[in-house]
Amino acid sequence: MRVILKTRPRAKPRIPIEAETIIPQNFLRKNDIRVYEGNKERKLEDLFFITVEGPAVSPDQVEVILTGDTGVIKRVGEYMNAGRIIVEGDIGMHCGNFMSAGEIIIRGNADSWLAREMRGGFIRCEGDAGHYCAAGYRGEKRGMRGGTVEVLGNAGDFAAEYLSGGEVHIHGSCGDLPGVEMRGGTLTIGGDCLRPCGNMTGGICRIFGTAHQFLPTFRKNGTEDVQYGGKHYRMAAFRGDIANRGKGRVLIRA
Amino acid sequence: MKVEDVVCPFCGCLCDDLVVEVDQNRVIGVENGCTLANEKFMGDRRLENPIRKEGRSWSDITYDAAIREAADILIDADRPLLYGWSGTHGEAQSVGVHLAELLGAVIDNTSTVCHGPSIMAIQEVGHPGCTLGQVKNRADVIVYWGANPIDAHPRHMSRYTTYADGFFVKEAFKERKVIVVDVRKTESSAVADEFIKVERGGDYAILSALRAIVRGKRDLIPPKIAGVTREQLFRVADICMQAKFGAIFFGLGLTMSPGKNKNVRNAIELTEELNRHTKFTISPMRGHWNVYGSNEVFTWITGYPYAVDFARGIAFYNPGETTSVDILRRGECDACLVVASDPGAHFPRACAEHLARIPTIQIDPHVNATTHLATLQIPVAVTGIDAEGTAYRMDGVPIRTRKLFDGTYPSDLEILSKIYARVKEAKGS
Repeated sequence: MRVILKTRPRAKPRIPIEAETIIPQNFLRKNDIRVYEGNKERKLEDLFFITVEGPAVSPDQVEVILTGDTGVIKRVGEYMNAGRIIVEGDIGMHCGNFMSAGEIIIRGNADSWLAREMRGGFIRCEGDAGHYCAAGYRGEKRGMRGGTVEVLGNAGDFAAEYLSGGEVHIHGSCGDLPGVEMRGGTLTIGGDCLRPCGNMTGGICRIFGTAHQFLPTFRKNGTEDVQYGGKHYRMAAFRGDIANRGKGRVLIRA
Repeated sequence: MKVEDVVCPFCGCLCDDLVVEVDQNRVIGVENGCTLANEKFMGDRRLENPIRKEGRSWSDITYDAAIREAADILIDADRPLLYGWSGTHGEAQSVGVHLAELLGAVIDNTSTVCHGPSIMAIQEVGHPGCTLGQVKNRADVIVYWGANPIDAHPRHMSRYTTYADGFFVKEAFKERKVIVVDVRKTESSAVADEFIKVERGGDYAILSALRAIVRGKRDLIPPKIAGVTREQLFRVADICMQAKFGAIFFGLGLTMSPGKNKNVRNAIELTEELNRHTKFTISPMRGHWNVYGSNEVFTWITGYPYAVDFARGIAFYNPGETTSVDILRRGECDACLVVASDPGAHFPRACAEHLARIPTIQIDPHVNATTHLATLQIPVAVTGIDAEGTAYRMDGVPIRTRKLFDGTYPSDLEILSKIYARVKEAKGS
């Protein structure tokens, strides 16, 4: 089944839409899907032109395609556990929150908290991701726990904060403090970043660009050879952050 | 008539030893106050009645008409924002939160531009704090990090730290060591025993290094970090570890520089580390008068201290998403109620531009920068001068403020209660 959701023109286009109900499994059974526009509850058809093509007997056969002015739609794919979502443009905050399986493809940019506390599945953002990509909610001790997030562009500040499992791959550069409070999983940064892995207690971070203002509380621990993008790199290895227990590993291109 | 033991309604110190001379309904003199307090009490350029913008000019309207119009604007909005609250008393803040819930609005206070990151850090790792009385009576080491109390909290040093003799610190000026950490020399750094001049944005690295030093890993520290020598960091760590009782006070230099809440978290974790060796506490230098109270009141009612979004009927909190600067910058809200604050002066330009585009109602005694962006302003009494109510000091101690004279203005509480009643009636709830 293919469900195409095209945004309708709105009188106040900057008011965010909260749409955690846009997940493949909901289109298999539900007819009455509701979303919020600001403080008003709306029917899905009030805000989207909806086209449904073909049948499906299980959620993994459902593909949802979002087009139009999608940059202010939040929480798409929250608690998603099967199927596929394709966003033709940008997507709002919290895309893929708590997702456990399935696939989300974003052709444009993703706003902050992409893949927040994700458990499994795959997300690819072909543009840039905002702040707190693959991080946790405020005060939460664990961010992303499983699955894979791939950002082809750059990511903002605090990418992979509290990363606890799974794999985050930023092909471009990251902002400030990627991997801060990281405790597990793998973070790969293809470009540059600033102050990576502050206060990390576990996990591996690989940086193939320049780590600006690298924190003084990491202990040099030899070199390692790694493969990345079909090339061979010699990496300087560090252990830290020794401001606390210091059991994380950071590899920076030598 | 002289009124004694008056509580100052300006900064988070809430100095409660002021003597204010009143003549009928006017303050004519202030004793014991700092220059900021004097200006607050003596400043007498209040708006006389509610005003409404019509085209490029203003017209006077009655209080009833202003309340009616304010309620109607908020009822019509799809994403109203209620901002400010730190300059008023807890009772008015409480009505504000209930109004936000009724409207399905976002309610936020000035923490969003001051110590919001401190609260986020406290939510992650807790708050080893204490009252200012404890500091005054016990602390022999004081650290001011990213704060300049002589300018921003002029009596903090004389009432609680550097110059305040305490029960266990008989000659404070001789017995207390003061450490100031800042990116530039200030009046406060001039009185410090140790001044750490850190490069801009270098606080996080310095804090991490100090944590490592306190953990006994001195061998790892490079010769210079963010413009600070290793020897100075060793010296400062030794002063802190040898203290009988230490107190860190931090300001916006830590909360609003790169790293934000992570800077504060690092400072809290340094405090925890120091507590393995001695007693150490850490406290934010809250600036806006009752901003701590707004955090308290919001938390009692909603579970969250600021940036609370009621759009879905239940409270949701996520700084960066539901904070007023972010909402205004993204142009999300379609109406705004500003109470006891001046976002026109404090917010980034893009936010001020959006405030000017949408219906903005201001409840404030004075004409300020936000007046020029607003469509409607309702003047009220000043809490602590001609209105009474409860406020919280920067260390979380609630203090009751008094009314010095019976003025002619309604209080924030009265105006907000009337708006609330009208909204409630319109919503039929």
